Amino acid sequence: MRDDLRLAGVGRRYGLRGPWVLRGVDLALAPGTLVRVEGANGTGKSTLLRLLAGIDAPTEGRITGRPRTAYVPERFPAELPFTASGYLTHLGAVHGLSRTAAARAADAWLERLGAAGYARTPMAELSKGSSQKVAVAQALLAAPDLLVLDEAWTGLDAAARTELERAVAERTAAGGAVVFVDHDPRRLAGAPDATYTVTGGALRRRTDPAAGGTVAGPHVLVEAQGPPDEAPPAEATALSTAARRTGRGTTCFTVPASRSDVLLRALLGARPPWHVVSVGAALPETAALPETAALPQTAPLPETAPEDAALPDGPAEVAAFRHGPAEAAALTPHVPQESENRR
Amino acid sequence: MTALLRYQTALLIRSQRWLPPFVLYAAFLAIGVQSGQPVLDSLGYTAAALLPVAAWLVRVCASGEPPAARACAAAAVGPARAHLACLAVALGAAVVLGATATPVVTAISDPTSADHHRRVPWAAAVGAGLLATLVCALLGTAVGALTTWPLLRSPGRAVPAMLLAALLALVLTGSPAHAALTGLITGSRTGTVPVPLLPLTGAVLLTAGALAVACALTSRRSP
Repeated sequence: MRDDLRLAGVGRRYGLRGPWVLRGVDLALAPGTLVRVEGANGTGKSTLLRLLAGIDAPTEGRITGRPRTAYVPERFPAELPFTASGYLTHLGAVHGLSRTAAARAADAWLERLGAAGYARTPMAELSKGSSQKVAVAQALLAAPDLLVLDEAWTGLDAAARTELERAVAERTAAGGAVVFVDHDPRRLAGAPDATYTVTGGALRRRTDPAAGGTVAGPHVLVEAQGPPDEAPPAEATALSTAARRTGRGTTCFTVPASRSDVLLRALLGARPPWHVVSVGAALPETAALPETAALPQTAPLPETAPEDAALPDGPAEVAAFRHGPAEAAALTPHVPQESENRR
Repeated sequence: MTALLRYQTALLIRSQRWLPPFVLYAAFLAIGVQSGQPVLDSLGYTAAALLPVAAWLVRVCASGEPPAARACAAAAVGPARAHLACLAVALGAAVVLGATATPVVTAISDPTSADHHRRVPWAAAVGAGLLATLVCALLGTAVGALTTWPLLRSPGRAVPAMLLAALLALVLTGSPAHAALTGLITGSRTGTVPVPLLPLTGAVLLTAGALAVACALTSRRSP
């Protein structure tokens, strides 16, 4: 098991006598955690992320336990003399993949983000959104242990935004830490393990209920059946915000929408595999209520997702249903696993 | 590191920003080297002209990658290694340029001393020329590394500083490049081929120091 990334008394200022952008930052980032960083414009969020990504060194203090890191900048330039897949193959190799594995991962990620048609397009001809997809793919293709996202969702289309939320859930489920900044408060709502606010050059952990994120944001109810006397798989319980038994061997999981695919994969991949009875949208308030009465509403019909229209991002639960629970396990089998392609 | 070098090389070649320094070097040689001139004099000129060209190549490599793309590579391998690869590719390009020019210049020059009385062995002349070229490529890389990002960011200051530093590296007594060139010119007068190993050692040490400073500063300066 790898160590936490630890920041101890970290401060950063630009220039020898510049003002302190950040000071006295203490933070431990355990594997598998999802952390949100908030703050007004110009408070030092990006500086914090650059420190976490290892791009900047702290002026004072220490950062220890750096894992394999990937970074998605806020704006990605198009002025690179490569095609999209050419650039990604280079970056995949820089991240430690072999060239063939990097090329395969590049195409797989462009496809996932809906940019497969631009794979052979020179970067200079890409639109802002498509370049951002390349930046996202660049960070994800080597399955990093630490993923740092500086407003990575900005400029992406709805489908790619949902896909990136799913990719984040996959990374954390696979034991990677993810830190992100985004100005949309609904981004990955309910999923972060901790939320920090940068104010006046200091980092504070938010402790109000919304920050812990147990019920906020779109959730999915998954009802699954396993061996009668067995507890649900530990991975599935860890992903869920609530898991309660509704019958003999039947458990109902409440999970943030972004993690629903990962949960289904965990259930279907368990030994012995669990049978998925139903998947449906959970209203934010039903997510918190421990009553079985909520279950009939979750009958597996797309129309039962009433907040569809209200959510511009296209909620992940609809996508999860469209694929069908049985296919959910095979949603992303083409993404190379971290160990086998390493040189 | 191999992947990084490959990435930086592709970036340099595909950006076509290598073309102006290469053309400048060709123009230098076309003006300064004519067939039938004493070989060691011509080789000295070939090596000297490479120093500012190497510094320019470093500038091309270090400023060619957009800051956001640099951040992506830096997050993967660390900013110091990413910058080292960039500088190494610039040095490699300068060495390739010098190593191509030296045999050509030797072939068209007159293999004699400056007064055309004593013969200079062809193979030894090429060897001495290559060593002097390597000294100048190394020092040019050091000059370029110290006068571009992350040390100097505004082009208004960086370009004059680079030109001045390149000139000083050529003319200041005590500079390895000056020593190597002086060796070639006096060798041409006396008809003996010098082996500039001492200047080469000095150039290697100076360049290693300059690259270490530049790489160490990458994570401490703003982008």
